Amino acid sequence: MAAPPPSAAPLPPRPAGVGGWLASRWELVALVLLAAAPLCIPALGGALGGQVTTLFIYCILALALNVMVGYTGLVHLGIASFFGIGAYCLAILTVPMYPFRIGFLPAAVVAVLVTAGTGLALGAPTLRLRGDYLAIVTLGFGEVAKVTLRNLEQITGGMKGLNPVPPPGAGVTVAGLDLGKAFAIDPRWFYYLSLLSLAGVVLAMRRLETSRLGRALVAVREDELAAQAMGISATRVKLSAFAMSSAVAGLAGCLYAASLSTTADPNAYDFNRSIMVLCAVILGGLGSIPGTILGVAILVGFDTVLAPWADSWIQQMNINPSGSSALSFSGWRLAIFGLALVFVMRYRPEGLIPSRRLAAELHEEGP
Amino acid sequence: MAILEVRDLSAGYGPIRALDGVSIDVGEGETVAIIGANGAGKTTLLMAIVGVVPARSGSVAFQGRPITGLPTHVVSRMGIGHAPEGRRIFPRLSVRENLELGGFTQTDRQALKRDIDEACGMFPVLGERMAQMGGTLSGGEQQMLALARALVGRPKLLLLDEPSLGLAPLIVERIFDVIGSLAKRGISVVLVEQNARAALRLADRGYVLETGRVTLTGPGAELAHDRRVREAYLGEG
Repeated sequence: MAAPPPSAAPLPPRPAGVGGWLASRWELVALVLLAAAPLCIPALGGALGGQVTTLFIYCILALALNVMVGYTGLVHLGIASFFGIGAYCLAILTVPMYPFRIGFLPAAVVAVLVTAGTGLALGAPTLRLRGDYLAIVTLGFGEVAKVTLRNLEQITGGMKGLNPVPPPGAGVTVAGLDLGKAFAIDPRWFYYLSLLSLAGVVLAMRRLETSRLGRALVAVREDELAAQAMGISATRVKLSAFAMSSAVAGLAGCLYAASLSTTADPNAYDFNRSIMVLCAVILGGLGSIPGTILGVAILVGFDTVLAPWADSWIQQMNINPSGSSALSFSGWRLAIFGLALVFVMRYRPEGLIPSRRLAAELHEEGP
Repeated sequence: MAILEVRDLSAGYGPIRALDGVSIDVGEGETVAIIGANGAGKTTLLMAIVGVVPARSGSVAFQGRPITGLPTHVVSRMGIGHAPEGRRIFPRLSVRENLELGGFTQTDRQALKRDIDEACGMFPVLGERMAQMGGTLSGGEQQMLALARALVGRPKLLLLDEPSLGLAPLIVERIFDVIGSLAKRGISVVLVEQNARAALRLADRGYVLETGRVTLTGPGAELAHDRRVREAYLGEG
């Protein structure tokens, strides 16, 4: 794919850091608002809280994918399989049917290590592949992982999945409060756990962007031969990208399984999910942290928050007493979704909040 | 003592034998030109020295240590800078980021800044364009950036592949001036060029490569006056 000729406009400066860590003030504002929201909006104590939690978890998953696709330029079509492996690892280590039954935290640590290792195992033999070829391998891996999860019934429970995954802190009592029960009853506990994890991942990504490894990722994306001539080991850089991306996707999987108290069936980790996350990253802006989060908020939020809400509203208004799908919002959901994507890609190909680099390249206000 | 010793090096791509037993030496602080026609194996020679193209036989030694078969980034870290054919700058990174990546192995920020300032001192136009994206520079500026980027890494030996390709004569002159000044800084240079006249004027010694073999070698000035070189590469009859 030929890159369009870059424009001569100088790059805009990086936004000033808040404490050097949170790279923009907006992120801090968003974090405070999101942290305060459950205290002000009672609905977040109900089903909506669970939906927003899922949104946070998908943000983490999309940021994981962004390491591969955005920073390193490696096309990855199987991110959902790492999401699934993380979820199943956590489940195996915590559900009652297995003898391990360790706590959420140690189980999550093990699950993240396992997904990182799996990422390395996928990365090592595919180091020489780029572009379309790597895309096909990762796509294949995703399908193999899904089918494996389905067919290893003795271990994974097949289509039933593994459950019940106990909530974090099950059996732990802090100051008279049974943490496990609190997590099970009030979705706001998971809301905060996922928000905290998301904030941690965003911080880690900010650190990565400015680190030596982060610059090496970008150099390899831009020109592998030149990067090697600078003393950068392309092998190590790509393996790091695989490991980091898989590990973060595994973390998202842990939160997912714990918040649903089940791994759900293996189809929850299929190609559609990988593509949806990839669309979110591209829609928001490749290589851009706020962009990725916005992309997820729009794509996944549309699906998990807006669509059910619009449906119940239509029902309440009694617009659609016959229950015809032509009058339900869900019936139109995918059409609206597809059209919106087409329009964004037509008018803003660099994404909604592009990384400053792509923005400069695609908007030729030029010489 | 030779900083670079290449002995009977052969390399190729599939059935094609691009290098066929090439031996060259580069002394400390010496500038050596490799001239030859298209497809003579000049680029392959540089690629085989840094390990991008694997050697099929023969050996390469840098400062007396064998480097045959080592990965490219390891060779680079030992002190061999490489400005590959076609400049290969990072088009979507700013000039500053390009230069910073040139000093990737330099972990001391102060030293890196000094090295970048020094490189910009040689090509003042780069200093004016620090925030601009590499891909938006003109061809000549890109070549200067490629050269400066390689120099930021403080190489002991610099491999330059066709630095004059496609550039206006005035810019070629400017770039060759800088290449000529590298010896004074103690940097040895291997200069691969089709522009044989300019390369031989600059070089202490030269090698003529034909279909993967060294056919002629000698001091730069001597080669420039050799009848065969004049006929084949300097366009004189």
